[in-house]
Amino acid sequence: MTTQVQTVQSAVGNQVHPTSRSLWGDAFLRLKRDRIALLCISILVLYALVALLCQFGWIASPWDRVVGSAYQPPNFASIDLILGTDLFGRSVFYKVLHGTRIAMSVGLMSSLLSIPVGVFLGSVAGYFGGWVDDLVVWFYTTVSSIPNIMLLIAVTFVLGKGLTAMYVALGVTAWVGLARVMRGEFIKHKSRDYVVAAESIGAGHVARIFRHILPNVSHFVIINISIQFVSAIKSEVILSFLGLGVQGQPSWGVMIDDAKLELSRGVWWQLAGASLAMFFVVLAFNLLGDSLRDALDPKMKH
Amino acid sequence: MLRLTGVFRFDFSSYFYKYRHLFLFTLALTIGGCTPRGASEPVQTLHLVVGEKLKGLDPVLAEDLYSGTQSSQAYETLLQFHYLKRPYSLAPQLADKMPEVSADGKIYTFSLKKGVLFQDDPCFKETSGKGRELVADDVVYSLKRLADPKLVSSGWWILDDRVVGLNAWRDKALRDSTTQYQSEVEGLRSIDRYTFQIKLNRRSTQFLYFLTMPFAAVVPREAVDFYGKEFLNHAVGTGPFRLQEYHPGSKIVWVRNPTYRRELYPSEGAPGDREAGLLADAGKALPLADQVVVQVFVEQQPMWLSFLSGKVDISGIPKDSFSTAINPGHELSSDLAAKGVRLVKTPAFDISHLTFNMADPVFAKNKYLRQALSLAYDQNTFNEIFFNGAAMAAQGPIPPGIDGYDPSLRNPNRQFNMNKARELLAKAGYPGGKGLPPLEYATLAGTLGRQQGEFTSKMFSALGVNLNIGTYSWPQFLEVVKNKKAQMWEYGWSGDYPDGENFLQLFYSKNASPGQNDANYSSPEFDRAYEYSLTLPEGRQRTETYQKMVKILVDDCPWIFGSHRLSYVLVQKWLKNYKPNDFNHSNYKFYRVDPGLKK
Repeated sequence: MTTQVQTVQSAVGNQVHPTSRSLWGDAFLRLKRDRIALLCISILVLYALVALLCQFGWIASPWDRVVGSAYQPPNFASIDLILGTDLFGRSVFYKVLHGTRIAMSVGLMSSLLSIPVGVFLGSVAGYFGGWVDDLVVWFYTTVSSIPNIMLLIAVTFVLGKGLTAMYVALGVTAWVGLARVMRGEFIKHKSRDYVVAAESIGAGHVARIFRHILPNVSHFVIINISIQFVSAIKSEVILSFLGLGVQGQPSWGVMIDDAKLELSRGVWWQLAGASLAMFFVVLAFNLLGDSLRDALDPKMKH
Repeated sequence: MLRLTGVFRFDFSSYFYKYRHLFLFTLALTIGGCTPRGASEPVQTLHLVVGEKLKGLDPVLAEDLYSGTQSSQAYETLLQFHYLKRPYSLAPQLADKMPEVSADGKIYTFSLKKGVLFQDDPCFKETSGKGRELVADDVVYSLKRLADPKLVSSGWWILDDRVVGLNAWRDKALRDSTTQYQSEVEGLRSIDRYTFQIKLNRRSTQFLYFLTMPFAAVVPREAVDFYGKEFLNHAVGTGPFRLQEYHPGSKIVWVRNPTYRRELYPSEGAPGDREAGLLADAGKALPLADQVVVQVFVEQQPMWLSFLSGKVDISGIPKDSFSTAINPGHELSSDLAAKGVRLVKTPAFDISHLTFNMADPVFAKNKYLRQALSLAYDQNTFNEIFFNGAAMAAQGPIPPGIDGYDPSLRNPNRQFNMNKARELLAKAGYPGGKGLPPLEYATLAGTLGRQQGEFTSKMFSALGVNLNIGTYSWPQFLEVVKNKKAQMWEYGWSGDYPDGENFLQLFYSKNASPGQNDANYSSPEFDRAYEYSLTLPEGRQRTETYQKMVKILVDDCPWIFGSHRLSYVLVQKWLKNYKPNDFNHSNYKFYRVDPGLKK
């Protein structure tokens, strides 16, 4: 009963104040009201800040300085030792911070690489249909039929190991999901009235795809970035754990790999540090992804 | 023949090799055993264990350590390694003395002990179950059997392409429907009842070592014919023990062989053996024990618990229990020490090393650079971090316990000294590392490989030398080494037979990659000494030649000599005469229980 009343009220309210806000402006307002989303954003800003500061060497530098004896347990005597030391006596806390740098950069770079590919292939497939669609669908079906981790390993083998190879490896494998979504949306939109109208006033294919349809489906890209980021971070950790990821730099995956041998002697802090750091960033991205979806979905407006 | 990764693990029990050529030197952790003590059990009963289900007792199929050790209780070989003497030296077992060798080193003439009897068994129908005497024809038969292609023995390699005419015999047997044992082989002949001859294609320094392996044990033809396929589950040899119970998955019981020949406990040993009580039983008739109960423990934890409760006499230390059994000072924990348990540490028969690729222009002509890096590499810290201290820093290529090892050797390039290293680096033309491009360094992709790479990188960066670390899977790594695609790598070698030659051949120029000389080291002076040493028999002159070769290597520094691992074995206070021996597989006959200490 109450729900119905509210629905009616807000519907009425909407009519009283016809909105002039854009989808984005509206979404922004709604995000601002969502406390969890705000918390997630602050966490992510913090991670990004840490990553940047590490990148420029302003904090936790140098990470491979020996700060104590091997396997010193965590203590609060100094900031270096807050998460204990590893087998060479280096600060685990610094390694976690530098791991953040690696993880964030991998997430960012792989998103930057995969999103243009996914958007482009998905839109042309959905828009043109026919053989173009067949070709793209065949291509991404083939790519996605190869177990993801195997493909990543293959790519790192071809490109050699290291950070660059990992950006590319994650970039070239991560576009499939976005391409699928974009293709579906384009099929839905291409025969909508506004597109037909654009066509009738002489808009060409390129204009219809990029000026008319794409802005109307672009919120999917934003949502996808948050998902993509998470999976890139997780893949980085897995690849580094397997010895295929970053070389000679601290990474959460490498730290977890170290922990494999340390746990039996009761050294838990390296595992805990890396896992917690990863846990919070992954959780923040996932919750933010949900909030973004809610905020950007026009159907959820009321 | 045997390469190990330089990436050694703490877990010694993981070295239970199951491959043919890995067999000889496996760390003998065939240990401890437990069974409910029955009322009828003799006082002199040993309780030992094996860590894996047994494959069988047929010597030609005894390719893993467990089966090899068990079959060696019933079957014997012509020669054995002396139980106590170190460096390891050969002693006759079924042979009545060491064989006569012809001047060209190709013909070995053996004479057998007289009056050696096979154990009584129903297979000897002519004597209604009484074991007959072992003769020269039995040896010839047994070695042919090892070559029989129908038995697919993985021990064939010890004879392959070595004995005159044996490969042709094997090829013929491969075509025939049944193997013709009566057809003659030129290189394998009995001369009379107790004498026979082996003729080799070419001189071989190792051939006699191979004859100590369980593969080469002597079996009676009657038993093979009588039991057929079931021969695997019987044991009819000349050895000190008779098989009483055989359950390959759970338990084996050996009892004293009443017809065993008169064989005495050795009265000579290595220095320190007398003080350790190892010569207290000198001259007593073997075997000392009446019964051996061998329990099969596939899992380590129950074996360990049995040892702690005194039901097992000898035990290794499972990795997960290492910190509870061994204190940080690398000695026995106080509660085990209070029980009277003895900790026996022995150097394993191996060496880890960092190799300089001498085919690479950076290292080829720059001895100072190699020496500088060698001086900057702190092996003791490495051993603490990666081996819990259970390893000793190597001074040269030859591990302790074998001919050519010099305990007094202190390698001047392996005493960690940063100042001297900096000096030498400047002399090498790279003061402070300036002008030296990052070195290509190969290691394994696993956790330990990566960590050891990080360690090396840290050591060298203190000197101003940077590394580009490449991590590879094992097959990729072997490719890198074979094709000389890196400048440095970490590697290891585990010996095949207890002779310094086995380690020195790693530097012989004709063994360069794709051979085992992974440093691609080439020194005419070394080669000459090596070739000369091959012509020498065991003895002072050969030992001196080995030590001369080691000196050349120490100065030339083609490797950074790494570590020899130590293996840790625990022994109950009542078990006497235990001495680790990686090469004598019939140790049980020497062990004895002191009933006064066993309550």
